[in-house]
Amino acid sequence: MNHTGILFFPAFDWSLGDSHPEREERLLYTQEQLFEEGIFDLPQIKQFAPRVASLREALRTQALFPTPQKHMDNLDAHLIAAGSAILLGEARVRREITNGFVLARPPGHHSGATVWGNRGFCTLNNEAILVNHLRAQLGIKKIAVVDTDVHHGDGTQDIFYHDPNVLFISLHQDGRTLYPGSGFVNEKGGPNAWDQTLNIPLPPGTGDEGYHYVLENWVLPRLQDFAPDLIINSAGQDNHFTDPLASMNLTANGYGHITELLRPDLAVLEGGYSIEGALPYVNLAILLALAGEDYNHVREPQKLVRPTLSLSVVKPYIQELQKQHQKINPDFTIQTNKSIFPKGNWVYIPHSIYYDTEGFQENRQDYIRQCTHCAGTVYIESRRPPSPRKSVLVRIPFHACSECEQAGYDLWEQLQKPSEDTTTGILQNQLRDNLYVWHKKEGLKVF
Amino acid sequence: MPKRVGIDVGGTYTDAVFINNNQIEHTAKVPTRSENLVETLLDAFDALKVPNEQEIQQITVSTTLVTNAILQNRISDVDLFLFSANGMRLDALPWPVRYREFSGVIDFRGREIQSPDQSEWEKLVSLDGGGNFSHVAIVGKFSHRNSLHEEGLAAYLKNRNPSLKIALGHEWGQANFYRRSLTTYLNLGVSDLYHQFVQQLQTAVTARKIKAPIYILKADGGILPLAKLRPIDSIYSGPAASVLAALAQNEPVASSIIVDIGGTTTDLGLSLSGVPLLSSKGAQIGPFSTLVRSLAVRSIPVGGDSVIRPKDQGFVLESYRLGPAHCLGGKEATPTDAMRYLGLIDYGDTLLAEEAMASLLPQARRDPQSLRQLATEIINTLVDRIAEGVESLKREWQEEPAYKVWEVLHPHETREFYKLVSGGCARGITTALEKRLSNPVHLGVFPEVSNALGTAMARPTFDCTLHLDTYMKHYHIEETGEQGKWQGSLRPYKEVEEFLNALAQQQAANYGIEIHDLEKDPFDFFPIVKNYSTVGQIVRGAVHMRPGVIGRVHV
Repeated sequence: MNHTGILFFPAFDWSLGDSHPEREERLLYTQEQLFEEGIFDLPQIKQFAPRVASLREALRTQALFPTPQKHMDNLDAHLIAAGSAILLGEARVRREITNGFVLARPPGHHSGATVWGNRGFCTLNNEAILVNHLRAQLGIKKIAVVDTDVHHGDGTQDIFYHDPNVLFISLHQDGRTLYPGSGFVNEKGGPNAWDQTLNIPLPPGTGDEGYHYVLENWVLPRLQDFAPDLIINSAGQDNHFTDPLASMNLTANGYGHITELLRPDLAVLEGGYSIEGALPYVNLAILLALAGEDYNHVREPQKLVRPTLSLSVVKPYIQELQKQHQKINPDFTIQTNKSIFPKGNWVYIPHSIYYDTEGFQENRQDYIRQCTHCAGTVYIESRRPPSPRKSVLVRIPFHACSECEQAGYDLWEQLQKPSEDTTTGILQNQLRDNLYVWHKKEGLKVF
Repeated sequence: MPKRVGIDVGGTYTDAVFINNNQIEHTAKVPTRSENLVETLLDAFDALKVPNEQEIQQITVSTTLVTNAILQNRISDVDLFLFSANGMRLDALPWPVRYREFSGVIDFRGREIQSPDQSEWEKLVSLDGGGNFSHVAIVGKFSHRNSLHEEGLAAYLKNRNPSLKIALGHEWGQANFYRRSLTTYLNLGVSDLYHQFVQQLQTAVTARKIKAPIYILKADGGILPLAKLRPIDSIYSGPAASVLAALAQNEPVASSIIVDIGGTTTDLGLSLSGVPLLSSKGAQIGPFSTLVRSLAVRSIPVGGDSVIRPKDQGFVLESYRLGPAHCLGGKEATPTDAMRYLGLIDYGDTLLAEEAMASLLPQARRDPQSLRQLATEIINTLVDRIAEGVESLKREWQEEPAYKVWEVLHPHETREFYKLVSGGCARGITTALEKRLSNPVHLGVFPEVSNALGTAMARPTFDCTLHLDTYMKHYHIEETGEQGKWQGSLRPYKEVEEFLNALAQQQAANYGIEIHDLEKDPFDFFPIVKNYSTVGQIVRGAVHMRPGVIGRVHV
């Protein structure tokens, strides 16, 4: 029999603030709905208990700055959500389940390669931590993450931007009209992973029909082409027509059909804050679709009244977008004036990241070693102004070639030399699954 | 310390004990006459030969009446009417009974989304042609949040047929429409039979001038006065009794694994710091999934009389029984024969036991060494099955879902378990079980009447779970299904605690039981936010009196 795993972790004792959208109440009505339907009595549904991810499991994927310890007071709920994703992902890889749904709070897809705090309600990136765990511990090679949250999955994109073995696809409401303001078609991946990031910004008002059209005509062919070992769906629920923040017009049934089309190995809850009008019904529809049950009788009480774009409008828009996307070619800057770099071409990508929860800016300078053999070693300098001091992430990628591996070690060694402006460094050696944290005062620590 | 009688009605035998001052003073065993339960109970009571019957303060009965009626399909005809609303298709789950669907939708907050269609009701009545229905169970999705539609249809039907027996789903106030429907259906289906039993028993007892109140043991190990019980709650009281018997012979705070080995099956139970583990899901009886709270128990289909068949290499331990063991006059070789052959038990014929062992080996290999080896392997196989059951029960406990950060960060600690074995041939497996679990195993002191002992020592359980929605100004109690208006503040704190306590006292008085040392779940407060301001709260809280025993029996 096919089994659908469910890990339901509503974190009923945790919130980001009393009236914050990410609060205790968020999955309360989902629980009511799922329990009342008797969904856990379906013979193919298998419920799992949550577990806490270790700090090591988080650091393998994300650099917590300025030090991991600084985050520990606010990390418990996030570590449980990440651990829960890992637990269900392992169950999938071990074939205990055919597919699964990590229905946990808090969400994670806005949390990127470097973390100074909470942004877009996310501190740890649950899917990314899962993806790298499965690669490091269970030998999985190629994974696709399809993000169907209404917001651009900028954190996930950031983490896998240089990784040719992870295909990241994000469908979202156009960044010109919604947080976080990114996710345009020209963001197609780093120099060694070109075209492994696909952003599909959709116009406000795209409904079920338009969304399904994009999936069938763009997303699914791309997935088929990539032929991943696993598909993970970042299943945000804020495309629903009752969502208070976004303006897409999807229904619970529409979500059921998305799930049916994508056939993800694992769906992981992301955002979605219409906690009464949408979540109970969308979660039910997704779970039923995963379990191979009919979701067409799931009806949200409210009626769709906002105007929806007809397919005759969405179709040409998407076709035009596809043309634009095809035309975009790599255009990277090679840095020339930094003396610390080992030999090779180091592509330089500066950018800044805004942390909306606490309201501050992170300035990043990313350097990637161009490589035709592997994903290339990544060196990231990160600063949180006004402090001029930097924290540094060195990442030796999975399947790194010997030159990139050596480059990583050289940079790591450089970093630990006495200097005024470096506070901390993290070495993610994904190749050997080693993790080191170096702190100016506390010295080197192995995780 | 009161004088108590406990009677356990089993499939073959009915056992009874009389306990005075924590001592077992008399025990009795009589054959069960399944056709006349009341007579059987009185037989057992008489066989106890209690010196002064007037001094007995309580009689507790564990009965298979309801269990058997359900499993043998001897229940009243019930028509099941559902307000099934939207959502998962009904036939996604197996319905062992037929139902009729009506329109009308209530949501998770108890709001009416769509009102019922009266014309459907009229059609139903005209179809019925004036009274084919005798028993009707009416259940609506989310009726535990709002019973409006159930009450409406009930009033409509009652108006047309005042003699109709109607049960409403919201009285089973827990979530799960599927289980609530089947539980309402079953409880109504067995209520005639149960009430008949209550009446007969009360008449008989009054005629005998026995004044002691009679209590019935429930699936969760608690007891309730005969007349207050919801009949369906009395299923599976046998396994509950064996867990309670273990508690009555144990250190009060010990965690224990309870193994009750019978002829056909072995029952397993678990207690944590003296409190038996409750199953996270309601009980399953035959094809019915219910909301009945029951202890987490495992029944393994092997026991002392399980048949052993020879195989090319070795043997197979079957999961059925064909009469007694060979050494006790039966035809088949069984684990009991192996125990007798090895001298682990002191009843049964030694020569017949040897014969049984020999029958499993080819002629050429029937030497004492091979026979001993075979007998040992048989016991080890039995013990392996039991150990697997123990592991699965422990997993159920360890893998219980957690919905709060606090729960995940404070997991159940692995503890040392006290292992207690009882039942007919318990003595025969203790050594092997000790070896398999690499821990000492203790033998129950009164294995032959342990269920009656557990029944006698049982005490009431009590649960009162409040769900309060201050914005909707509505509350409900899970256990009784009571729904009412909330007149307190939008964000109550102390107030809600007092409210719950008052409700609990009222409920206990209604059951006719005394509650004390209530265990309180911490309240969960869910602020309800609209447009970034808090407009009310959903509050969940509960008090419990966990299953347990009134004391320890002295040996």
